[in-house]
Amino acid sequence: MSLRFDRRSLLKGMLGGSAVYLGLPALDVFLDGNGTAFADGAPLPLRFGTYFWGLGLTDTPTGGTRWVPTTTGSGYEVTPELASLAALKDKVSVFSGFRAIGDGKANLVHWSGHASILSGIAPASPNRFDGASFDTRIADAIGTATRFKAIDVDASISRLPVSYSTRTGNTFATPETTPLALYTRLFGPGFQDPNSPDWKPDPSIMLRQSVLSAVTDERQSLMRNVGKADQVKLDQYFTSVREMETQLAVQLQRPGKCEACVVPGAPKDAPRASSVDVVNANTRTMAKLLAMALACNQTRVFNVVHTAGASETYLAGQSKIYHQITHDEPTDARLGYQPETSKLAALVMQALGDFLTELDAVKEGDGTLLDHSLVMAFSDTGYAKIHSVENIPMFLAGRAGGRHKAGQHIVGKGESVTRVSLTAMQLAGAPVGEFGTGTMKTARPISEVMT
Amino acid sequence: MLRNRGLAYAAAFGCGMVTFLVGATPAPVATDPGPIKVAVRRLTETQYRHTVADVLGPQIKIEARFEPEKREEGLLAIGSSQLSLTSAGFEQYFALAGSIAEQALAEGQRDRVVPCKPADATRADDGCARQFVAAYGERLFRRPLTESEIAARVRTAAAGTARLHDFYGGLQLALTSLLVAPEFLFRIETAEPDPAQPGAFRLDGYTMASRLSFLFWDTTPDAALLQAARSGALHTAAGLQEQLERLTSSPRYEQGARAFLADVLQLDGFANLVKDPAIYPKFNQSVADSAREQTLKTSLDLLVRQQRDYRDLFTSNETYINRSLAAVYQVPFVSDKEWAPYTFSDASERAGILTQVSFLSLFAHPGTSSPTRRGIKIHEIFMCEPTPNPPADVDFSKVKDSTQGTVRGRLLDHMQNTGCTACHRRSDPPGLALEHFDGLGQLRTTENNVPIDVSADLNGSKFVGANGLANYLHNDPRVPACLVRNVFAYGVGRKTEERDEDYLAEQTRIFAASGYRVPGLMRQIAATPEFFKASIPRGVSP
Repeated sequence: MSLRFDRRSLLKGMLGGSAVYLGLPALDVFLDGNGTAFADGAPLPLRFGTYFWGLGLTDTPTGGTRWVPTTTGSGYEVTPELASLAALKDKVSVFSGFRAIGDGKANLVHWSGHASILSGIAPASPNRFDGASFDTRIADAIGTATRFKAIDVDASISRLPVSYSTRTGNTFATPETTPLALYTRLFGPGFQDPNSPDWKPDPSIMLRQSVLSAVTDERQSLMRNVGKADQVKLDQYFTSVREMETQLAVQLQRPGKCEACVVPGAPKDAPRASSVDVVNANTRTMAKLLAMALACNQTRVFNVVHTAGASETYLAGQSKIYHQITHDEPTDARLGYQPETSKLAALVMQALGDFLTELDAVKEGDGTLLDHSLVMAFSDTGYAKIHSVENIPMFLAGRAGGRHKAGQHIVGKGESVTRVSLTAMQLAGAPVGEFGTGTMKTARPISEVMT
Repeated sequence: MLRNRGLAYAAAFGCGMVTFLVGATPAPVATDPGPIKVAVRRLTETQYRHTVADVLGPQIKIEARFEPEKREEGLLAIGSSQLSLTSAGFEQYFALAGSIAEQALAEGQRDRVVPCKPADATRADDGCARQFVAAYGERLFRRPLTESEIAARVRTAAAGTARLHDFYGGLQLALTSLLVAPEFLFRIETAEPDPAQPGAFRLDGYTMASRLSFLFWDTTPDAALLQAARSGALHTAAGLQEQLERLTSSPRYEQGARAFLADVLQLDGFANLVKDPAIYPKFNQSVADSAREQTLKTSLDLLVRQQRDYRDLFTSNETYINRSLAAVYQVPFVSDKEWAPYTFSDASERAGILTQVSFLSLFAHPGTSSPTRRGIKIHEIFMCEPTPNPPADVDFSKVKDSTQGTVRGRLLDHMQNTGCTACHRRSDPPGLALEHFDGLGQLRTTENNVPIDVSADLNGSKFVGANGLANYLHNDPRVPACLVRNVFAYGVGRKTEERDEDYLAEQTRIFAASGYRVPGLMRQIAATPEFFKASIPRGVSP
């Protein structure tokens, strides 16, 4: 909104105490005070992200696998489908043998696995979760001091945007689906360069705050005589308004300097095709932007979708999509696994390797951005051919500022996937002691990877 | 302080005269201190666009990414009753609201838009601001504003004016605040005690007005509808009938029918449709957009302008094409207009909307056709029969590699498999009948050099090819019954239930008796009390 006003007189008015709406909400923003953390040499903040890809990794009918390392603990061997993680393996923990447990609920194909990991509840129906995804709890804990509480990205170039982050179980986050859209959101209007020497608050921000206060004034009357489901929706609406208020409040604060922040240029969008080479390139471009968003303190939490559950990516020029191949391709009698499927799995994992490499390429303090981050990567299935929700591949990458004893292979032996989720929450600093319901309820994080 | 109290004023907004009855009734106040909210339905993108054009002028540019919609029970209209706004979405709506307000109150526009003039344009004028907020608030919230809703915006305007020394700058903020309010972004449906039945509730007049307006015009109620709500006319059979006649005879009805057809025919996602360029070099964004438009143009012409039998949608070979589509259909395009009517020849195998590029390309893979997807969608869209989720523990060991021969072989394997057979026996045959069309919708007769067999057997009904399928659907009684269900569910924003069955059967009978005319069907349903029934949500004590 560009309103005509005399910037100087407005600022004078504002500083003179007669502002439209000086009620900068008493948000954690100001309690936390991380705006100065970088300049003062205080510890670098911890970042958290989820990274999802579809169709798991390849097992074999005889009990073998193309991805589970044979050794446990640290110094695990790099298996064929984990090749892309080789260079970073000391910063990546591998979790195998964990499963989603339905307690009698049907295995909803390409849905139950990640719904269980994220919400802790085996879902009753497709397209919705029966609880919030746990990334929102981490965002609530560590995401309130930045302009964005979380940034959601979908690199899959799907017909409809894909996100598995939800507060209500029904409305999922709206992700950025192209590099240019992501760039514009992060570094377009409203972005303030933390390293710029001549920062001035934009006085129009306070006018925009007054617009929102008229909305929130009506909250109480709106919430009267509303059914439960509608109440949840309106609550989410007001949460979104509050996040906008935070954005505005943050923009009125002089940003603290960020040594690692280098404002990127606008990227070019990828061609509109969903072949795996294009999706991987897209993921990498968006990883670079996201890395700078973290380094420039625009957000501390992100969720990335590489490909959706029933992934529609494909090898360029090949008529069948990956999803179809996982089901149709016979196991090669000589090799003992599905060769095309495994080839695609390794290609898909290349994007994860590239993603983490981009975070690791940003030097920050005495380490890298990845060292001050925790990224939980996981899929919807284990062995996709049979929609298995056992042995779902899961990874924790990044040292989480030293909290994560990274570089280990942990074998779950059929335990619930929620143990890994709980571990991620605790490592990322969410005040959560227990997670999940039914058999998936757990209060036991995986202590081996925690310092 | 309403200086123009008692006066009506008119403003031309490009699509006819829009009249605000400012002060025609006492100062706007809430109709009921505590109305019961029976539904909260998020405004769709087209509803938002149409509303802004109607209320603030069609010249206003709306550039934003709208929240993704979600289909439930076959309809986005039902999904939008379940969705909220995400933070990324609100951010978009917030920026958009500012841009709309700035355009609406730009110099050169404001005299037309603002119903009064401030005494001094550099100072606050609460009376004029109040008039503006009350008038525009009523159009945007689809009901009169409460005193506190008005007062909050008058305060916003005054404070902004004080800051900016510009009355219109203050109004911009007030208008922005209306445009980001939940009462605008969601259609909040409310109920009131029914005077005819003590203890029972009915939708209030304003909610009725919105249901009608969004069903028939896909936009906010106009002044006449609001007046009919205010006066109580909508609660009388004659008053309702009068509005129904006005709504269906208006040129705007086509806008409403277009929104309905786009939803019910599932014509969304074309903006992000992808095809492998190596396999379908003719595909591009223009083809995708044109394909959607072709189906909408064809069905609007057939069902609304010509008011033909709904079932002709499957069999009519009359359509419209443009240059992009002509290339895919491999027919000449000889018009100097953007679109031209076209009639497919009998030899083309094309008749009805199922043989159009939109359906054929949307329900396919990036590099192949998909009889299963097409079949599932035919059952879902036209027969209201959803397909259950596939079982997780499918044994695919019998499935052979399908790099050779036609896709039929692979699917027949599925049909042999006990875990798959129940669904695939139903989903695949209609799709197999369309196999002469590839994943983009181009005609072909062979796959991997093997002739494609397009015969189908659906629960004992045997038919061959696209024409056979078209005739099958034309004559299947589930098809019109499904449309009746969809009109009702689209209008009321909820899925139909057991208790609706007798009602729907009766409406289907009337639809058939009147020759399957769609505008008549919409009118007929909107005239029934069931269409306005209020169900009080659990947990709310009236």
